[in-house]
Amino acid sequence: MPRPALVALALAVLTAGPPDRLTAQDHGSIVIVSGQFPGQPIPTLTRGSADNDIADLLFLRLARLGPTLRTAGDRDFVPQLARRWERRDSLTLVFELDPRARWHDGVPVTSRDVVWSFGRARDAAVAPAHATALRWVREVVADGDRRVIIRFAKPYPTQFFDATWQLPVLPAHLLDSIPPAQLGTSSYAKAPIGNGPFRYVRALPGQLVEIAAVTGHFLGSPKIERVIYRAAADGDARINLMLSGEGDGLEQLSLRSQQERFAGSTEFRLIPVPSFQIGFVLFNHRDPADRNAPHPILADGGTRRALVLALDRATIVASLFGTAAVVPEGPASMSLWVRTPTAPLAGGDTARAAALLAAAGWTDHDGNGVRDRDGRPLKLTLIFPGTSPSRRLAAQLVQEQWRRVGVQIELTPLEFPAYIERRNARSFDLDLTSINQDPNPAGLAQGWSCGGGTNLGSFCDPAVDSLLARAEAAPDGGLALWQSLLRRIDSDAPAAFLFAPANVVAVHRRFDGVVLRPEGLWSGLAAWRVTPGRQLPRDRTGAQ
Amino acid sequence: MTRWLARRAAQGVLTWAVAVIALFLLVRLLPGDPLAAANELPPETQEALRRLYGLDQPLLTQLGHFLGGLFHGDLGVSLLHGRPVTEVLLGHLPTTLLLGGAVFVADFAIAYWLGTRLAARAGGLEDRWTMRVLLTGHALPPFWLGLVLVWIFALGLRWFPAAGVSDPFLASHIPWSGRALDVLRHMVLPWLTLVLTTLVVPLRHHREAVLETLDADWVRAARARGVPESQVLRRHAARAALGPLVVLLGLWMPMLLTGAVLVETTFAWPGLGWLMAQAVGGRDYPLATGCVLLGAAAVVAGNLLADLLQRLLDPRVST
Repeated sequence: MPRPALVALALAVLTAGPPDRLTAQDHGSIVIVSGQFPGQPIPTLTRGSADNDIADLLFLRLARLGPTLRTAGDRDFVPQLARRWERRDSLTLVFELDPRARWHDGVPVTSRDVVWSFGRARDAAVAPAHATALRWVREVVADGDRRVIIRFAKPYPTQFFDATWQLPVLPAHLLDSIPPAQLGTSSYAKAPIGNGPFRYVRALPGQLVEIAAVTGHFLGSPKIERVIYRAAADGDARINLMLSGEGDGLEQLSLRSQQERFAGSTEFRLIPVPSFQIGFVLFNHRDPADRNAPHPILADGGTRRALVLALDRATIVASLFGTAAVVPEGPASMSLWVRTPTAPLAGGDTARAAALLAAAGWTDHDGNGVRDRDGRPLKLTLIFPGTSPSRRLAAQLVQEQWRRVGVQIELTPLEFPAYIERRNARSFDLDLTSINQDPNPAGLAQGWSCGGGTNLGSFCDPAVDSLLARAEAAPDGGLALWQSLLRRIDSDAPAAFLFAPANVVAVHRRFDGVVLRPEGLWSGLAAWRVTPGRQLPRDRTGAQ
Repeated sequence: MTRWLARRAAQGVLTWAVAVIALFLLVRLLPGDPLAAANELPPETQEALRRLYGLDQPLLTQLGHFLGGLFHGDLGVSLLHGRPVTEVLLGHLPTTLLLGGAVFVADFAIAYWLGTRLAARAGGLEDRWTMRVLLTGHALPPFWLGLVLVWIFALGLRWFPAAGVSDPFLASHIPWSGRALDVLRHMVLPWLTLVLTTLVVPLRHHREAVLETLDADWVRAARARGVPESQVLRRHAARAALGPLVVLLGLWMPMLLTGAVLVETTFAWPGLGWLMAQAVGGRDYPLATGCVLLGAAAVVAGNLLADLLQRLLDPRVST
């Protein structure tokens, strides 16, 4: 290429600047930056938080969780597709659909859609996760076009939660001719039609998904006309997109170091949103070398309690998250409605920890700084995913704090799939894990009951199982019982419960009416608006 | 020539087939659970998912299914994306070819021009400083250099976008030239990062080759015949020194597809390198195998191309 042509091209690229925009329609736009690309935002097919975020805006449930996030009973739920409901008996709920509800192709939402959606989701061969969540639903039948009757196999306080929260409703008229195995590859999956306040517009693979407001939606027209969901796998790339003015919303900024990058910015505010996340060091009660034998160190309750007391969890939380996290009492995230207000001894008590270790026979006989008993050093291996910055930092702090009381920790960072394999094989002493809890506290049974499917530390306390059974069956929701359960687990010390972080979200300051929900962060987007007079050029563009 | 080409192509296909089968097995022998993302689900649900995706089948049965599908162009369904692997690969191929191709062209065009120029000025100030700067670029981790460029040109000066391939707000009526300029603006920083960190390799090869030919008898003879020095350099020495650059060009081809993992990640450029890292990291067996299949094809094609070009440039080469 001749030199003048090269220079002209370079100048054109450099001076191209922001491209032409469509003409003014001052409804506003938002660019949400995410770590994942939402490839399949369709209920029963979703594969991650990005898919769920978009699905929450495209598809409605019969009702959604209210601000208290209380899953027991129906008192705090907010109507969506169902405008009212009634309890016929302890096993039967009846929902009346809102006659204004329409699919984005104009077809009314009917009871047939609800029945079909439950039928598909309860098929374990098609949607195993949904089938597990809906295992107590015995029957879903239509009563005319607008009424749906849901019958359960047993009475329990979270029936309403299961009937509404677990499954957004899908369009039977578009999907019943598609075999379940082909849904993911169908034309519907490429351009899903929903019934929510936003409709699907387009996707560029690996780059972005665009959705647009449904004008005249029966629950109210969104004031944000256009939502672009932009993917960037790398954490730095996500923050760079925000700080270069190309993004408006970014979540998962819980770490102090991430928040500090926004310190000099006047364009964004950081909003902590309570989350369902919780991080802890899980103690393995069984010997990883011989699963039939108790763990030679951690099977002893006194030693486990000493390890918890040796940690200054308040300092760990402050170092990692600043003020955006708390030390939980037991396995309770910030958003679990049954959580207790405070955790005892979050600052630790090293003197008591040392005494408990000595009482268990662990003393430093040879003066090398590591306690020992019968010639065996108090040495443990801690596994964690090396790709998680929060857990990498937490592991280092835990190692240092335990070193001070004579406990030697060998850190084993692993690649995520290898970490999960080690974890599921229960081949660890200590596991620094982080989970997203189910909003329903009944989910605690999976991790902390004797027969729980994800009880990887093999913790077993019959008193905990008894409390779980009573709390799950309590007709009033059993708040006091759930809190007793949390305290009981905490005192058993099956794990050192380290942090319950908020999901810190950066949001551009031009938005007001900002609603961020723990159970679906962006699901309140329909209420957002751009403050008049603060529009950016991209707010004046229409959807394609 | 035709027989040679057919023989080399057949060897290439055989090599590719062996590589694909070996890599199919190796990917699955890596420690790690493809259902790691579902680890919070109860074990019975995880088992049901395993059955759904055919992960409960013996390895050889899985290989049989894969080879059967391969003959029909079906590489299976991605576990991470839930879509056919061919569709996912084709969705990311254009972005990778665009960036990789631009880097490829720049690397070899600049290496040819600058390598020849520096050889003529070997040992001089320009030669020494250019090599120092480019060696420093080569020594820098690409993701780090990328972050520095983003910091200066995207966050500081706001001349270029920080990440992505195109402006999502580009209006639909914009002509193709406007769209092309928008993509070019997005490509500048990742392209610059890759060129600065890779250029020195072909440049150094070519510079050394030109230096050797400058001492050759026939170059001295050309000078003795009174051919101007610039023509001696460009027409005689540089062209004759193309051999090593051409061999390197063939070996460079796989990088075009999957060689820019870190830079693609830093700039959220959704190419095949990024996709492959995601597939291997998530133990998405069908997608990882699909990426490997493309990478192996690029290696085989690159080698064949290098042999072919070398044969065309120098008929004395007969192997």
